Amino acid sequence: MNEKIKRTLGLGIVNLLIILLIVFIAGPFLWIAVASMQGENELLKHPPNLIPQNPTSDNYRYVFTGEIPQSYEVKGQLRSRISQEARLIAPALKNSFVVAITVLVINLILGIPAAYTFARINFRGKKLGYNFMLGSRLMPAMAVAIPYYIIIQTLKLLDSYLSLILIYSALTLPFTIWFLTLYVTNIPREMEDAARVDGCTPFQTLYNIVIPMMAPGLVAASAFAFMTSYNEFLFARLLTQSIKTQTGPVIIASIAGNPDASYSLISVCVTLGLIPPLILAITMRKWLTEGLSASITFR
Amino acid sequence: MAVIVAQPVRRKAKLWDKIYPYFSITVPFLVIALFTIYPVLYAVRISFYRYLLTKPKSHPFIGLDNFKEVITSYYFRTSLVNTALFTTAVVIGVTIFGLIVAMLLNSKVRTANALKILILLPWAIPSVVGGLMWKWILNSDFGILSGILYGLGIIHQYIPFLANPILAKLSMVIATIWKEGPLAAIFFLAGLQLIPSELYEAARIDGGGGWRIFRYVTLPLLQPIMLIVVVYETITAVLVFDLIYVLTGGGPGDSTSMISWFAYAEIFKNLNLGHGVALAIIIALITLVLIMVYLRVIKSEEVGS
Repeated sequence: MNEKIKRTLGLGIVNLLIILLIVFIAGPFLWIAVASMQGENELLKHPPNLIPQNPTSDNYRYVFTGEIPQSYEVKGQLRSRISQEARLIAPALKNSFVVAITVLVINLILGIPAAYTFARINFRGKKLGYNFMLGSRLMPAMAVAIPYYIIIQTLKLLDSYLSLILIYSALTLPFTIWFLTLYVTNIPREMEDAARVDGCTPFQTLYNIVIPMMAPGLVAASAFAFMTSYNEFLFARLLTQSIKTQTGPVIIASIAGNPDASYSLISVCVTLGLIPPLILAITMRKWLTEGLSASITFR
Repeated sequence: MAVIVAQPVRRKAKLWDKIYPYFSITVPFLVIALFTIYPVLYAVRISFYRYLLTKPKSHPFIGLDNFKEVITSYYFRTSLVNTALFTTAVVIGVTIFGLIVAMLLNSKVRTANALKILILLPWAIPSVVGGLMWKWILNSDFGILSGILYGLGIIHQYIPFLANPILAKLSMVIATIWKEGPLAAIFFLAGLQLIPSELYEAARIDGGGGWRIFRYVTLPLLQPIMLIVVVYETITAVLVFDLIYVLTGGGPGDSTSMISWFAYAEIFKNLNLGHGVALAIIIALITLVLIMVYLRVIKSEEVGS
């Protein structure tokens, strides 16, 4: 009896703790989504409504079509509280997307063969190359920010997709290659040996035998490369100058720094910017978790 | 017959086999090298010159003066102390958070499944955006945290979290735990799942209670992973920048001005490139030393066990 009470109590505490954690983790996301559906005046109320009384899509309509929400016309908020910049979020997210997808593809095309080489083939300079690649990730971004600017300026690539794509590829490739090398090393070797005996080149072995077997690792590596590029801020802030190339984080940070910006419009921008990584994190959860676990437990 | 025909093909294949490894890594290494070797050398060179962006024509060589000026400045000491405090709090906070979440995720409780789906979300989003979400939550005019406390009658006026030096520091730590904790949780979960359940059963038969099992079975077996988490989070915390940029801007005063923020301010606000780069090099050296210390610890652990 005593044992039973103790167990029920323990279970109750565990459940309570989990619910608190869920609120802590998910609360900020829910609130920003709720805020994006309210008028400015409702947000400024003390205390605000946790559940919107008159949910509205006006803020979203303004961001996409430029139609000014009715709630802004009261109290003379029209002039001061609307930020034109909020309307830049759609093209900015498109830029983020183009850059991140290209970086992902580059990571796969260049990363898979390199990882296979490091995992399976012995060659002169292998260790040096591997250590150089890992060491490159220790460089603090702030130290190289200005040199990056000068390189990009010399290549005449300022304000271009290519500048971001090159830099993000350089930032993500070491992780991708290292991660995929671990993955290949943990695949049994017999099938490849059989293929080599049958006369396949390393290249053919890789594409016909190894790639299908490392598919889960590839999904995880692609997601990591995409997220790193989609989320990067400092270099994007430094190297993009117009909405032609400015990415989501750059525009969001710039709107938020504008003291005149409307809070509900900022919430709209943030919510829109969150959608791609959140969809990715939820749908790819299994592979991401497996990939992260593999990266720390594989030897 | 077949053997004779195959001869030249095989020789060609052999040469290709020899070149192939280099062929497969050349392009990625060129890209990585362009954005590591050259920029690092360039940065080191700048750090020995007086390099003011307001005087683009004259860059006299000044030896180690940039380093001397930076290290003796008031802001260096302040930002170093802030960084050390922040890093310690974040590493401890993230480790404890990660351990608790991992143990809960590893339990068979049904609500844990919901947490499992949500836990990766903060990790997946841009840190600029995460910081912004916390900025609005903590805002002194309309922040929802004050709103909830006010609605519940706990406080009678909104709290200016980000205008108070101590609360601002605390806010930085909480926002970082929210963003970084999930990764630590996933790492610890991976470690927990490697521990064979027989070990727990044996410990239980030996009469171990929950805390004793955790202390003498779980924790020692998680130690290798804990070291990786600590190293990773130390580097992340020392280099923190995006979060300061949106959440506090280093303020109020200079209470959340960390060392990478100091470097940023020297380059982009005071336009003193030499100072900024010298600081960045100091940051790189600090992280390098920390990593070497940790590696030494890991090695002595391995020898010891």
